[in-house]
Amino acid sequence: MGTISIEHSDRLYWLGRYTERFFITLRSLDKLYDKMIDDKYGYREYLGYFGLTDTYTDSIDFIRSFLYDEFNPNSAAYCLERAYDNGIVLREEISTKSLSFLQMAKDTLTRSNDKANVRLSLLPLKDILYSFWGSVNEHIYDDEIRNIIYIGKTLERLDLYMRMKYPYEAVHKEYVRLCKNLRRVPKDTPYRYNTRYLSHIVEILGSEEEYLLHSDKAIESLGHLFDTSEVMA
Amino acid sequence: MTQQKQFNKAVGNASEINELLRRYGVKFGIYKDGVFNEQFFPFDPIPRVISAEDFQSMEKGLVQRVNALNEFLFDIYHEKKIVRDGIIPEDFIYISKGYLAECEGITPKNKVYSHISGIDLVQAKDGEWYILEDNLRIPSGASYPLIARELTRIAAPQAFSENHIVDNRGYAELLKETMEYSNCGGIRAILTPGRYNAAYFEHSYLAEHTGSVLVQNDELFVEDNILYQRTYSGSKTRIGVLYRRIADEYLDPLTFLPESLIGIPNLMEAYRSGNVGIVNAPGNGVADDKGIYYFVPKMIKYYLGEEPILKNAPTYLPFYDEDMKYVMDNLEKLVIKDVAEAGGYGVVFGSDLTKEKLEEFRKTIIAEPRRFIAQEVIDFLDLPILDNGETVMRKADLRAFVLSGEKTKVWASGLTRFSRNPDSFVVNSSQGGGFKDTWVLSR
Amino acid sequence: MKRVNFYYSTKLTFDDYVHNHSFALRIMPPETDTQHILSCSLNISPFVPTQQTVDAFGNNVTAGYMRDDHRFLDYEIKGSAEVDHTKHRLDLLPCYFYQSQYTKPDDGLRSFYDSIKGKCTGTASDKAEYFCNILSDTIEYKKGFTDTTTTAAQAFALNKGVCQDFSHILISLLRMDGIAARYIAGLAFCDGETHSWVEYWTGDHWEGIDPANNCPVSDDYLVISQGRDFRDCAIDRGVMFGKYTKQLQLVRSVLT
Repeated sequence: MGTISIEHSDRLYWLGRYTERFFITLRSLDKLYDKMIDDKYGYREYLGYFGLTDTYTDSIDFIRSFLYDEFNPNSAAYCLERAYDNGIVLREEISTKSLSFLQMAKDTLTRSNDKANVRLSLLPLKDILYSFWGSVNEHIYDDEIRNIIYIGKTLERLDLYMRMKYPYEAVHKEYVRLCKNLRRVPKDTPYRYNTRYLSHIVEILGSEEEYLLHSDKAIESLGHLFDTSEVMA
Repeated sequence: MTQQKQFNKAVGNASEINELLRRYGVKFGIYKDGVFNEQFFPFDPIPRVISAEDFQSMEKGLVQRVNALNEFLFDIYHEKKIVRDGIIPEDFIYISKGYLAECEGITPKNKVYSHISGIDLVQAKDGEWYILEDNLRIPSGASYPLIARELTRIAAPQAFSENHIVDNRGYAELLKETMEYSNCGGIRAILTPGRYNAAYFEHSYLAEHTGSVLVQNDELFVEDNILYQRTYSGSKTRIGVLYRRIADEYLDPLTFLPESLIGIPNLMEAYRSGNVGIVNAPGNGVADDKGIYYFVPKMIKYYLGEEPILKNAPTYLPFYDEDMKYVMDNLEKLVIKDVAEAGGYGVVFGSDLTKEKLEEFRKTIIAEPRRFIAQEVIDFLDLPILDNGETVMRKADLRAFVLSGEKTKVWASGLTRFSRNPDSFVVNSSQGGGFKDTWVLSR
Repeated sequence: MKRVNFYYSTKLTFDDYVHNHSFALRIMPPETDTQHILSCSLNISPFVPTQQTVDAFGNNVTAGYMRDDHRFLDYEIKGSAEVDHTKHRLDLLPCYFYQSQYTKPDDGLRSFYDSIKGKCTGTASDKAEYFCNILSDTIEYKKGFTDTTTTAAQAFALNKGVCQDFSHILISLLRMDGIAARYIAGLAFCDGETHSWVEYWTGDHWEGIDPANNCPVSDDYLVISQGRDFRDCAIDRGVMFGKYTKQLQLVRSVLT
């Protein structure tokens, strides 16, 4: 299929973003599980990344909320539900097969809630997500359309890495990856970058010093990357 | 009969297959207290089996019936010979909600009106099949047995290697051919009201498997009487055939209900100009009305000059004096249906009524004889289903899918729905019913 | 036979920009047995390509689509025709025998019919004239009480209405009596707005009658569209997107 609607291109973009947010959330929680073996308040730093304060009774309460609470917009369950919401309307673009991995991920996450060792029972989720990406990659034939979902995925990753204060080296890699994706977008299509905001990002992520000083500005510009009209000074 | 008994065993493990169906997202949407929920459509692993001979005669009967119905639709929206010749009283046509005067004179490409017909049948205890109703508007359900077959073949390969079962997985190809036959130049599209529609799974599954784009009205527009899809890059793609999964009244706010928010303005102008095929044609409701059902065997004789192969459930029209007398004398053993109602509403079993109520009902029928049809209650053949590991017998029907392209073809499968409640005749998925695979044997 | 010149214009103005505007106009008078169109030109502004079709009721439909932002849509027709009511139209559809959305009677209108039907005898023409006489005694012609959504039953209950309402009530009565009837939208000697009247089936042809003026239809009447009721004859129908809150419509029509 050579072409899709505006609605579907947006869905693809957000499917990419939420699937990636789900993936990184899981990975972060897995690391926190490990950290909390030694430090029971080890999760507080993570809350700080999102400007949240500790309202949780203990680490178990925190983990429950960030894994399963569908009303917590930073939880794994919430991100997965949103990913599924976007995916469900893309069946003929990404295939029933790809969708089935999202359903499997939902089922696996729900079931892990009753298991004695939650961390262990979450392990298959990683495999499921890699399969999902493999399947999506396989089923979207048109490069231009496939690129949209990868833009969502990479942009989300870069955004979260910066929020989570990842080291420059890791952030820079994702920044380069995003630039490669962005260059493939034809002019006058919805995911063509806004030159002004992209140049902000280029300035900041070009050097480690700038990144350490101004990552918050880079995050802000990332949020405007697809603004259509050039803002007048 | 004996055939069925041999197969009264489960194919694979019910929970395994249901697990797979879950994984592949086989769901239907349902509103409860105003909240949208997606439910899984429960699958029963004991197949309904139809022998090769049985299917052959059913196939002939269905092709005949659908051909006659298509002739009827062409006639009604053009010359109306069947009315003029006194075969069907005109009231039955023009008071029907399904008759759309706006469609007068329109001839769809290749004169196909009912591209996808869902004909509901039941089998009586004596093995005879009876037609319960025709669905010529937007019959749904084909996707469920389609995906169930795919999955049962994984879960229980031996059942398929040991038996001679016609592969039903060609449905998408058949549908694609049917759509192509009515294509007026352009891509194929399936129009859905959106993901909160009960049959959204089916819309998206059929789009995927027929290689059609799944569209909603806000990405479509009619320009120069041609239907286009607006694409994300700002270009437009012409649509040649639209398999629409929304009702006639909502199709075009400039022709039908002005308040429709899910329709496409001027779609009817594009259609009338022959620039787009609409599957199924608007206005088909006049042919699947409960009042018209009585006349289908007469249509077969009138248009095709043939004897009907498949039987209607014995039906009486109080409109005719002779039938009125029979209905009055036998009301307590008949089932009465209100012609204007649908979806299981307006159905009354005479046996459920008290003496006073019967008397009252007789008066209603005499006052409005055209409003009702009366039918003999058919003694259904119950089918075995697995209920918590035990085999129990339940009411079931069969929706056969007949596709009209260059030739009229019957899909060698169908949707067998059953009631999970032992006392109920209602097999609708929204009422908690389930479905089975339908095997047609190749010999 | 009479030669008439006609002119009709509408100016639609929105209080904010609209876009993706689809419209269907029924303003080009049809060529029929009783009217021969000598000339007819249609102008639409802003310019938009249009397509012509003929709908199920025999009306000329002009369909168009304007994707880009605009704040107004003006259209006008100008032309001349020969009208000759000594000839007869024969285009009968069975749906004209049956009540439609606007003409379906309620208990009030039905019992009114029951109370007068005893005196209603003779040919279809006798009956139509009889109904018209009674209507001009019972219903007051008054603007501002009804609008384009008012049904025959509602207007009858109000005892007031304009030409559209008179037509709907008359059609309802005729159909209750088993006479096929249709709604006509057109231009008549009256100036300023479009007019509406009724045609009934005599048994072998259509005959026009003007219930609002209680008179037969003459060569001073030009048919623009016809149908079961107002819904089939709406001069313009449209769907558009935008943040507009209201649209202003100015209409002018002349028949000379």
